[in-house]
Formats: sequence, C-alpha cells, structure tokens
Amino acid sequence: MNLLVVTLAAPLITAAIGGLGGPRQFKETVMIGGLAITFGLCLATAGRFLGGGVPAAFGDALRVDGLSALVLVLCGFVGLLSGTYGVGYLRRNEERRLVTKRMRREFFGLIPAYVFAMLLVSVSNNLGILWVAVELTTLASVSLVTFHDRDTSLEAAWKFLVLGSLGLAFALLGTVLLFAAGQGRLGEGMAALNWTRFMQVAPQLHPLTVRLGVVFALIGYGTKAGLAPMHTWKPDAYREAPSPAVALMAVGMLNGALYCILRIHLISKAAIGPEFSGGLLLTLGLLSVLVAVPFVLIQWNLKRLLAYSSIEHVGIMAIGVGLGAEAGVFGALLHMTYHSFAKPVALFSAGTLAQLHSSSDLGRIQNGTFTRTPVASALLVLSALIITGSPPFGMFFSEMTILRAGLIGSHATATGVFLAALSVLFCGFVFQVGRIVLGPPRDPSDRRQPLPERFDFGMGTVIAAALLAVVSSFYLPGPLMALIRAATAVVWGDV
Amino acid sequence: MKADILVLCAAGMLVSAYLMVGQRALFTTIRLYGLQSLLLAVVAATIAISEARPELWVTAGVTVALKTILIPWFLMRVIDRIGIHREIEPFLSVPASLLVCVGLTVVGYRVSTGFPEGAGGVSHHLIGVALSLLLVGLFLMVTRKKAITQILALLTVENAVFLVAVGVTSGMPLIVELGISFDVILAVLILGILVRRIVDRFESMDVSRLSTLKG
Repeated sequence: MNLLVVTLAAPLITAAIGGLGGPRQFKETVMIGGLAITFGLCLATAGRFLGGGVPAAFGDALRVDGLSALVLVLCGFVGLLSGTYGVGYLRRNEERRLVTKRMRREFFGLIPAYVFAMLLVSVSNNLGILWVAVELTTLASVSLVTFHDRDTSLEAAWKFLVLGSLGLAFALLGTVLLFAAGQGRLGEGMAALNWTRFMQVAPQLHPLTVRLGVVFALIGYGTKAGLAPMHTWKPDAYREAPSPAVALMAVGMLNGALYCILRIHLISKAAIGPEFSGGLLLTLGLLSVLVAVPFVLIQWNLKRLLAYSSIEHVGIMAIGVGLGAEAGVFGALLHMTYHSFAKPVALFSAGTLAQLHSSSDLGRIQNGTFTRTPVASALLVLSALIITGSPPFGMFFSEMTILRAGLIGSHATATGVFLAALSVLFCGFVFQVGRIVLGPPRDPSDRRQPLPERFDFGMGTVIAAALLAVVSSFYLPGPLMALIRAATAVVWGDV
Repeated sequence: MKADILVLCAAGMLVSAYLMVGQRALFTTIRLYGLQSLLLAVVAATIAISEARPELWVTAGVTVALKTILIPWFLMRVIDRIGIHREIEPFLSVPASLLVCVGLTVVGYRVSTGFPEGAGGVSHHLIGVALSLLLVGLFLMVTRKKAITQILALLTVENAVFLVAVGVTSGMPLIVELGISFDVILAVLILGILVRRIVDRFESMDVSRLSTLKG
C-alpha cells in the first residue's frame, strides 16, 4: 500500500466512523486514536522524504516535496491537538447539556473530515486537485461555523461561504488561465495540471496570461488565507466556530492556503521573474498587518481579537516571502512553524475562558479573570506573549529574521512600516489581554459569575500544548529543522 | 459555421446575464441562469464536434444535468418552500445597473485583447464574453440583497470561469472538471440549506440585514 494514500485515508475513515452513530466514549476514542494515527503517518511520510524518497501517488498528482512535508506535518500536528482538545471541549458542554445529537454527529464527523481536506491540500501537486481540496476544506468547515446555531452563526456562515466560494471561483479562473498560458505545451490529461509540469515549461508560458492567472489565483487563495482586503470573513467565523475548529482554521487552513499561494508564486517566479508575484505578496502582506492594527485596539471580543492576530501573522508570512530574499523565505517558514505551535494555545485558552463565562465577548468576560480562573488566564497571557513575538520566544526570532532580510534587501520603507505596525500590535495585544486578565476583579454580587475552573481533559490538553509551544521556542527537533530547510530550498531554489 | 455558433452562444450567455440584472422575479432569474448554462453546454458540444474532443461531451452532459436541471430545480424548490418570489429594490436602479454592466463589458473586452489565439480563432470573443460575464456576475452580487440572487450571481461567475476553461483551453482534464462540478453542487446544496435556516430565523432572506457582526 502506498504510504501517502494510507496517510490520507486515516482521517477519512475516522470521519466516517465519527459521523455515524455510536456511544460517546467510542466516538471520542476513535477521534483521538484516528487523529493520532494520522499524525504518526504524516511523520512517517515526512521521514521517508527526509530519507531521500519522494512519496507520490496517482501519477504524481499527489507528491511530497520539502514544502509539502512541512505543511503536512504541521497540519497533522494541529489536527491531533484540536481533536484532543475538542473531546474535552465537548465533554464540558455535555455536562451543561448544551450538546444536541446533531452537534455530536457534526463534531466527530467534520473535524476529521476537515483534517483530511487540509492534508490533501498539503500534498497536492496537481493544481486541479489542489483547488478541489481547498473547496473541500471550505465545505467541511461551514457547518462547524454554524455549530452553535445562533443568529450570528448563520450570519458568519453566510459571509464565510459566499466570500469563500467567490474567492475559490477566482482561484479556479486563475488555475484555468495558467493552464491556458501553457498553450498546449503542458500536454494532455490529468498530468497537464501538475505543478511540476508547470515548472518544467514555465519559461515558455504566455506572459500576459500568466500575469492575469497569478493575480486571480493569489486573490482567490489569499481569501482562504485571510490576507487583507479579503479577510472580512475571518473575525466572524472565529467568533462563531467552536475553539477546536477555529484552531484548525487558524493553523491548518492558514498553512494550507499559504501553501497554495507559494505554489502559484513559484510558477509566476519561474515564468516571469520574482518581482511580479513577490510585489503582490509584499503589498497584501503589509496591508494585512496594517488592517489588524485598529481592530486589535478597539476589539470587543476575545476570539475576534485572535482572528486579527491570525490576519497579522499570515501577513507577516506573506511579507517574508514577498521580500525576495532567502532569509525572508526561511523566516516566513520558521514563522509558520512557530505559529502552528503557539496559536492553538491562544485559541484553546481563550476558548476555555469563553466556556467558563458562556461567551467570548469581552463585555461578558469582564475584567480580572485572573482571580477567578487563574490557570486559563495565565495560559492566555503566556500565549499572548508568544504570538506577539516577545523575546525569548520563537516568533521573536522568526520576525527578526524577516526584518533583517527586509533591511538587507532594498525594502527599507516597507520594513519600517512593518516594524512600526508590529510594535503597535504588540502594545494593543498587551493592553487587551492585560485588561481582561489583570483589571479589578468582578463585583462579587454580580449574578453572572464564571464557572469554577477544573482540571479536566480539555485543560490538560491546553497545558500540554502550552508546554510544547514553550519548548519549541527554544528547541526545534533536528528533523523538523531539516524540513524547514528543505521547504526553504523548494521556495527559494529552483527545485 | 462553427465559429458562428460559438460566438452566438457566448453572446447569448452574456445577454442572459444582462436580463438577470434587469429582472426582479426570482423564478425568471433562475430560469435565465438555466438558459445560460444550456448555452454553455452548447459551446462545449460545438467544440467537442469541431475539434474531435470526446471528453468535452462529458462536460456538456454534466453541465446540462447539473446546471440546467438540478440546480435550478433545487433553487426553485427552496423559493417555493419559503414563499418569497420577488427581489426587493436593489441598491441601484435597473437602468443604472444596465449602464454599469455595459461599462463592465467594455472593460472585459479590452482585457481580452492581450490573449493569445486558442481554439479556432474565436477564443478572443469567448474570453471577452467570459470576462464580461464574470464582472457582471460580481456586480450582481454586490448590488442585490436577496440570498438567492447572491447564489445565482456566484453561479454566473462560475459559468464565466467554465466558459474560459472550455473556450480557451478546450477543456480542463476530465477528472478535475468532474471534481469541480461535484464541489459546486455541494456548495449550492449547503448554500440552499443556509438560506432556509436564515429565512426560518430572520423571516426574510434579505442578506443586508445580516450585519450584527462588526469590528
């Protein structure tokens, strides 16, 4: 059996079993077990790649190179983390009798299905399959956005699906135009849409058609990544979706969409030089970082706050790639790795706080959470420090790498703006998180007191994730570092 | 002869989009979308004959089955269930909308002149029409308030993309095309279900009312 096919089949089988009926205990075991096996298989696939092999299936339609291997491992990791936290999350809601039969079915079916779609994105070498896989992630996640079935969830889901579908229509047009740019040189059949084939004939592609195709494809996949100005679905979806699903969106989907963007960028780079798509990425990236600034400062909801942080981070990665220097690319991929470790902690601790207070709105959580829920608050502060890039945590170093690449290159103005925005964002985050956690404690006569904090399964997962995030800041295992370098070689060199 | 049919059908698609812009009865708008998809199928079939590409017959067949029969039927059923038949006053009046669409068509044609010639020398017209159709679809999307009209606008954009795929590249690889069609039908299904839930909840499918979430 092909290892890659097995890797993809594992979450799909998990989703099929989870979506069917069955006792709760059984479903929980299946989800955690299935996602753990999936992560193991992702590691095995990456291991085979590091061992010198190129795992592939279906005539190179699925193919693992350095970039794929890195995204695959990160998606598998966050899948396992979300699944485990998700079990604890749902248990807590079960205790309060908030969970209906529909919710149980959707939760245990759709989370592994979402993981499957993300893994498929990360190993697609075929631009057509890539598009279909990204659309699958959208369709799998939309029911997770309406999970709590509030008025606002329907609004968020509508915006999410309409904007997402429109973005994907653009991405499809981009793909078709890139295919048209080949003018028959790409050959016939399925293999004609293979990314590797595009790279072979890139210098002969029709330049104007490539330009138009790249613009449409970058806008399209940029919508999925949440690059400004196509980011508007993100805060709504983050607020409405349950936190485990948000972690999948914020890390898995973001990495997957960035993977698509990088593939398109590479075709464009090989066909018409690095300036065109690089410049576009730099502009969109800067815009994303800048857009996040005012909304972080005036934010009224904890999960929306994290959505703007996610818009900021995808912007940082786009800037790193767009700078057009090897260090920038390395910094961006390193940033992606650190972000994948840190963001789930922030979302899970925010989710725990939201569950205890029955809302993620800052008005409901109010100030002084530290006195009532010290562990979740401490974890939120820790994760906020990590994701704002404070030293000594990892994201500080990846952001420094990108800044240095920008200053050494000829992008002094852009780097200056970037640095200024980063500083303001840091202050904004410290202000918002400090306000929630440290402010004066809530009036004891207030009837809406939060639930007491308990060390249950969900809390255990958050603490474990936080430990991993801290450790990864100081020590990335050798093979993971090798994957980052291999991915940098794919994006920078002419592999 | 063949070129005439292609240009005629493509122009027909654009005309149907114009009529959608000028139309307020939702049933008629859905039928116009069905007609537009049928014309797309004719374009695919014509190229299938003239360039001896049998796989385009599958494209044509799938287009007829899904986009002229299944999707319109499904959307009409949704409308029947919720009992809302007319679009309310759009953000822009009909004459002004049509005028904007003419401008968009000019833009679409202008962009299309830079393309290389593809299938049989008419691809310039096909791209011109497809890009105009895309822009008109986007325009429809931003100016209308009813959820169903927004779905139809999305589908019009999708048709435009397929027109480029069929007319310029003589079709994408078949498996990919089938995957795309499958995804489109799934998306429409989910959108339809969402519309019903929105109507149940808000007693209206005016999406401009969905504006609680800000900031």
